[in-house]
Amino acid sequence: MKMRRIGVAVGFVLVASTLTASCGGGYDNTINILTNGEQIAHLDPQRNYTGDDLAFAGSTIQRSLTTYKFQAGDAGSEITGDLATDTGTSSNGGKVWAFTLKDGLKYEDGSVITCADVAYGVSRSFATDVITDGPSYAMTYLDVKGEYPGPYKATAAQQAAYDKAVTCDGNTITFNLKSTVADFNYTTTLLTFSPVPKAKDTGEKYDMHPISSGPYKIESYEVGKALVLVRNDQWDIATDTERKAYADKIVYHFGLEESAMDERLIADSGQDKTAVTAGILPESLKTVFEGDKALAKRAVNYYDPFVGYTNLNVKNLSCLDVRKAIYLALDREALRKAGGGSYTGDFADGFIKPLMKIDYKKPTQLAGLNEDGSPNVEAAKAAMAAAETKCPEVAAHAKDGLKFYYPDTEIWKKALAIWIDSMGKAGIKIKPEAVGDPAQYWPTVMNPETDYDIVRGGWAPDWANASTVIPELFTTGGGFNLTRNASDPDYKTFETKVNDARNTLDRTAQGVKWQELNQFVVDRLWALPGTFTRMQSMWGSKIENSFQWGPFGAFCYGNLKVQLEKK
Amino acid sequence: MFLFVVRRLFFAVLLLLAVSVVTYLLFSALPVDPAALTCGKNCKPDIIAANRIRLGYDKSIVEQYWLFLKGIFVGRDYGMGQAAFSCPAPSFGYSFAQHECVTTLIGRTFPVTAYLSIGAFIMWMIIGVGSGAIAALNKGKWQDRLANAFTAVGVSLPTFYVGLLVLFSVVIWLGILPFPDYVSPLEDPIKFLNAMILPWLTLAILSAASYTRLTRNGMLEAMNEDFVRLGVAKGLSRSVVLRKYVMRAAMVPIVTIAGLDFASLLGGAIITESVFSLPGMGKLAIRSVVESDLPVLVGTTLVSAVFIVLANVIVDIMYGVLDPRVRVK
Amino acid sequence: MGTAMSLDEDLITTSQQVSVESKSPRELAIARFQRDRLAKWALFVIVFYLVVAIFAPLICSLLGISPYALDGKALNDFGLPKGSFGGISGAHWLGVEPGTGRDILARLIYGARISMLVGFLATLVTTAIGIIVGVVSGYKRGMVDAVIGRITDLTLAFPSLLLMIALTRPIIQRLESFGIPEGNTSRIVYIILILGVFGWVYVARIVRGQTLSLREREFVEAARASGAGTWRIVFKELMPNLWAPVIVTVTLAIPGYVATESTLSFLGLGMLPPTASWGAMLGDSVRYYRADPTYLFIPGIALIVLVLAFNVVGDAVRDALDPKGDRQNIA
Repeated sequence: MKMRRIGVAVGFVLVASTLTASCGGGYDNTINILTNGEQIAHLDPQRNYTGDDLAFAGSTIQRSLTTYKFQAGDAGSEITGDLATDTGTSSNGGKVWAFTLKDGLKYEDGSVITCADVAYGVSRSFATDVITDGPSYAMTYLDVKGEYPGPYKATAAQQAAYDKAVTCDGNTITFNLKSTVADFNYTTTLLTFSPVPKAKDTGEKYDMHPISSGPYKIESYEVGKALVLVRNDQWDIATDTERKAYADKIVYHFGLEESAMDERLIADSGQDKTAVTAGILPESLKTVFEGDKALAKRAVNYYDPFVGYTNLNVKNLSCLDVRKAIYLALDREALRKAGGGSYTGDFADGFIKPLMKIDYKKPTQLAGLNEDGSPNVEAAKAAMAAAETKCPEVAAHAKDGLKFYYPDTEIWKKALAIWIDSMGKAGIKIKPEAVGDPAQYWPTVMNPETDYDIVRGGWAPDWANASTVIPELFTTGGGFNLTRNASDPDYKTFETKVNDARNTLDRTAQGVKWQELNQFVVDRLWALPGTFTRMQSMWGSKIENSFQWGPFGAFCYGNLKVQLEKK
Repeated sequence: MFLFVVRRLFFAVLLLLAVSVVTYLLFSALPVDPAALTCGKNCKPDIIAANRIRLGYDKSIVEQYWLFLKGIFVGRDYGMGQAAFSCPAPSFGYSFAQHECVTTLIGRTFPVTAYLSIGAFIMWMIIGVGSGAIAALNKGKWQDRLANAFTAVGVSLPTFYVGLLVLFSVVIWLGILPFPDYVSPLEDPIKFLNAMILPWLTLAILSAASYTRLTRNGMLEAMNEDFVRLGVAKGLSRSVVLRKYVMRAAMVPIVTIAGLDFASLLGGAIITESVFSLPGMGKLAIRSVVESDLPVLVGTTLVSAVFIVLANVIVDIMYGVLDPRVRVK
Repeated sequence: MGTAMSLDEDLITTSQQVSVESKSPRELAIARFQRDRLAKWALFVIVFYLVVAIFAPLICSLLGISPYALDGKALNDFGLPKGSFGGISGAHWLGVEPGTGRDILARLIYGARISMLVGFLATLVTTAIGIIVGVVSGYKRGMVDAVIGRITDLTLAFPSLLLMIALTRPIIQRLESFGIPEGNTSRIVYIILILGVFGWVYVARIVRGQTLSLREREFVEAARASGAGTWRIVFKELMPNLWAPVIVTVTLAIPGYVATESTLSFLGLGMLPPTASWGAMLGDSVRYYRADPTYLFIPGIALIVLVLAFNVVGDAVRDALDPKGDRQNIA
């Protein structure tokens, strides 16, 4: 019965689309990207740091020294030279890296892309007061002596120190690193290593109109409305092995009502025939994947690079037994269903995804944890009872109420209801703390002043090495450590082991060390593994090349192709 | 009368000044640190401090307010060295979240809101006053009951619910219209109408309801007023009495509410603009709340205050015109 | 009320109505109301809703349902209700909530508590302030009116919804620091407070306008001429004649504030989980217009029925109270 009702609804849509199509709704050689976001977080290459935006800007308007191949499957995780002729050469035991720029590289205004522009671009990432939100790898790795505040404020001496760390010799740029980084040429796929002409740098405002080095350039950009990219005729395909630039135009439509986006793609009429959208709402999944075969062909359900997990504030919850009780009591199966069942992903066994073949090994799971995701209330109660004697204060805190900060969306309200219900069965209380706007969630919980006990987390590696996962999430210097674990008695041991793994040159040996560190965290439950997430995306019927680009978990936007009408 | 208008305008300016002070104080007292929101993952105390200086939040509130006020008349400069830029007068400040001068943002979003408001206003006045009049003239009959039910439903359902129901039923279930996708009327009038008709309808359904009721009750009241009965007794025709006395008397509360409703719409229809993805001032404003983008929040609040204050002045004047008994000295 | 209507009654007796003269206006009003069968039904509906809201825990335990109990077995692999019509079954009379499997009927019953509480309290606060301010302003005129007028203007000048959202966190924090229990209590207090701050103006405007007209009327002038004091005139002469517009406002306001609660919930100012409110249900259900249309309509219908009931009752009360209501219509 249910199925038929939905079938009827789809029937209406099909009628609707034929109607509008017959009303002259054609389509152009334009890719339409639909999003409910109001803008792209950052277009400034040195500030861009989200998977989807990197895939977008990196495949259309910006080139870096190296790039991931624009290909589906495993091939998409291989790197190749982009602005550089090859993937760089290292010397001095991986402490010096050199890249040679190709000939004939030009910006949209016809001026030549020089080595100095790349050096200048990288230097911008040090100016963290203006160039915010970007990756900090250049600052971490480059051997700049003394303080360097970025090019805007640097004194002559400070600038000279930077220029010593990053040198230009003709077309060759050389990076001198503090210590060995065996895979620095993966780091250089980040747009941090994209060139910026100093004369055109507008600082803060560069975010709105960066100068293009790729096959497209910005025609107009209105926050809340649209970003329009048109062809950049200064870009020469002979200098580029990856970008194909099939479409004449790429339009990013902002601020769309979330559920309307899914409907537009399902309806597939007019311009929406060449539209793409990242993410499908849980409530649309059944319609898309089980409603209509033609529809399911225009959608994909795949493992993205992310791991979803829950951070525990180890400072407040300094007792392992309480953390165990929380993990054991949690109804993970109910949470997964609330997110869309199997489409949410699989239960995670740690923080490294199996996609990272070298670094992944299934960690031994907590004793008593049910593999099917159902709660083990008895074991949780036992753990709480143990905590009562071992650490009565922490147990009392858990009974009194743990502050759980969550983004105030419908789906998270339900997730919280599940948390409250399952913790209640083990005698643990949850105090929900809503963060009114999802966009402010990370800034709120990353603020050291915010007193939480439990917060969510989600992370994907910056490149295929757990050096961008374990240290980022669990060391005090990490960019996304929300566990406040510095006071844990085992932390010092952990940090020593991380540094050891970082400095291990042999990739296989390093992988084993990351596997052990993953186990180390799983044993201590500084954070609770959640899901190895899956992602769903949909595209219009006239879109080709709609593969999901592995390293980013996103479309390879620049190479999307419109299937043109046969005349 | 002239003196009255001048005095009201003078008070209006004072009022706007008061609004700007209150807004500024209110928003400056919010426990969010705008500087802390600028750096995300890399936030460290020294970066936050540097950004606070760059954004001008290191100064005292009084000084901030003074700079803001000055900016409206002479413009304002930001940053230093290569990263410097300025917002010309009238400047409401600079949005670091959107990398634009607030005035530019408002100038860009306002036309959308204006189109939305004007269209919706015309629609709801016709529907509201029309159905109210029909209900009043057919008191107790089915027309009256129907208008009543319409009022109840329209006034009680939340905007987002009605908006989404209208969107889904017209676009998905009936398939009469394509999904609204805003374009400027100067660019493509047909597409513009396509995009606007549903938001207009939504606002009209919601707002017309209270006008139906006000009109109906106002007319019924007026029909029983002595001066109306006098008109009938004097032998004036029904239509003359209705037009000259009944409608006129019933219009007094309607004009009050209509003026204010229209003005507050001009300040941005937050929910409607969000549901229909219209890049108007309401959406700009709500985004500024979400992003703790204080300059935009203050700017949009002030601009919408300007409309409401102006509407108030006009309403007061209309009061005198419509109801001769209430001519204010 | 009897004396309140006396002057108006005098006016009436000068015209045709003689037959009802023997009854007091209150009896008259009740008699008029009782003649309206629809109104009686509507009143019954309102009382029913109120009873359900007040005795929600009792009713739910009698029915054996809980608004918080998860029921994963009622959901399919997509997290959507199993079976047709949103999972309506013997165990779940109105189906289950997608994602969690919580019982919709139980949530509707519990949700009525929050929604009715917000609706009634907010109306009470705004109407009380609005009437007082409006009457004083309209009757006193002069300086008092001017000052109140400026305050009104200032309040009206702010985009209220925007401020409500922007001020949520700081004010709730402040309230909690004053000792108001954190969680939903402080949220409800905040919502009522902020609706009160912005809402009184509309009532006050209407009341002031009416008062301005009324004070010029013969019976008020007569009372003044006979030496009646300000308070006497306000309470005995003006107030009774303001009932009609105020009742119209109130009957629109209660459901209106119930709707506002849901809008705030939609914008992230709603009750904290796992508490149920109609606003939260409306906000959640619109997402399932395709996947679970039954869920989409249930909270909407519950709200519409309540609102219609208020309207019918409001109209009937207004007609019953209005002493001129029975007079022959000119049209």
